[in-house]
Amino acid sequence: MTMEKRRLSKILARADGCDVAALSAEIQKTYSPVIVKEPGKTLAMIKMREPAQQSLFYLGEVIVCEAVVEIDGVQGVAVLMGDDAEKTLDMAIIDAAMNKGVFGGMDTLLRLEKEQDSRIMRENAMHLKTMVNFQSMDQEAPNDLSVFEKA
Amino acid sequence: MAYVAVSGGKEAIEESIKLLDYYRSGTDKDLAIEAIENKLSLLVDRVMGEAGLYARTYAALALRQCEGSIEEAVFLLRAYRSTLTRNYYSDTVDAGEMRVVRRISAAFKDIIGGQILGATYDYTHRLIDFETGKEDPTALRQAMHKALAEQTPEEIVPCPRVSEELAKEGLIDRHSPNDQSPYDVTANILEFPTTRSARLQTMARADTGFVSGLAYSALRGFGQEHPTVGELRCGYVELYVPFLPDEKESLYIGEILITEVECFNAVDSKDQLKLAVGYGAVLGRNETKAIAMAVVDRELDNGGPYPAQNEEFVLMHGDSLEMNGFISHLKLPHYVTFQSKLDAVRKTRRADNE
Repeated sequence: MTMEKRRLSKILARADGCDVAALSAEIQKTYSPVIVKEPGKTLAMIKMREPAQQSLFYLGEVIVCEAVVEIDGVQGVAVLMGDDAEKTLDMAIIDAAMNKGVFGGMDTLLRLEKEQDSRIMRENAMHLKTMVNFQSMDQEAPNDLSVFEKA
Repeated sequence: MAYVAVSGGKEAIEESIKLLDYYRSGTDKDLAIEAIENKLSLLVDRVMGEAGLYARTYAALALRQCEGSIEEAVFLLRAYRSTLTRNYYSDTVDAGEMRVVRRISAAFKDIIGGQILGATYDYTHRLIDFETGKEDPTALRQAMHKALAEQTPEEIVPCPRVSEELAKEGLIDRHSPNDQSPYDVTANILEFPTTRSARLQTMARADTGFVSGLAYSALRGFGQEHPTVGELRCGYVELYVPFLPDEKESLYIGEILITEVECFNAVDSKDQLKLAVGYGAVLGRNETKAIAMAVVDRELDNGGPYPAQNEEFVLMHGDSLEMNGFISHLKLPHYVTFQSKLDAVRKTRRADNE
């Protein structure tokens, strides 16, 4: 069983370090990952597209931690915003196990993803409560953008 | 030659640096980094934005190290950043996809996706709440956790930009995506006229006060007419970098909070009016700077005789590190140059007396 990299890395990045460590520890009971690239800090430049003229520009940089490991010759890679070296290394080990097809923690990943999504959606609910419900006290302005929604 | 090496200040400098600790020692209480990061988050955001580096914990650490001085904290972050390699460029971020936490329009009351006030001081009484000094942080945290847990989850749906709808109607120009690699002002010296990407990057990391002052000057009459905030949105955007072993895949590295603004001005276009868009985007929650950036972006597009319309004036004088560094250099000994000025003044006095 495998998972797209975007999804796997998102679940792991959003998870607590101890949950990621537990998944990594489970792999290390059977396999001995070799560190190819020790976790280390580097920068990632944020590239954005602005809507006014559809051009690209750099908004700023973020510090990321990167690591590369191998399990029986199969590589695992992790890049994570921040400076959590241990979590980055654990993420690389999980990626290697996933690439090798020996990762057994898929249920845990799906549970973590569900919890993460639920938390974000509850946070979203708090913000949506601040949505304004305009009651017009005069004639409706003719060019409001709600007309597009109806179209 | 205007510079002469002098010595004799070494011990005084060492004692001066020690004295900084004395100035931070007026209380037994300490400021936890986590507390600065979470309770002074607008200050942290401003430092990150002006440093051009999104690193919340390091910004908090820098602020604590220098008694809360924004310019010193920006300096520390920039200096630290310069010690690191840059191994990644993110996949292109589209703030239209952001997880919105605040979104308003001053142009339309009804917008698709709605006006979401989010967390804002706009409607608060600007009166000091003396009870805040007695606040129990644990009780506050627990109450907010409880409030969060009690929410019914709401699906996250990206809000289309207000400008997209106006473009559909032909009221603002539509542009095809331009994939030209951005100019990087952290690696290249600005040359004029410069590119749009250099302009936006420079303003995004400029001093908040400088950009706001320029926009204010334009609004007061040293610029075009009053623009309208078409949309101000603040929220989280996800960052991905290419997965190097297989470039078809990407890795999620985290999410950042940003503020983005589009403002509209009416301009002449072939015997009819159209709307021109000014754009601003900054790291963190910093609405005034994002709005000001959008105003100045439009002023620069328009051009004209005023400071906010002059690209070199705007882009060369707003960098926190450069402006504060240059002003700071005035504190350094200028004994020889001042001596020559003094001699000139004395000579004219003597000539007058004779």
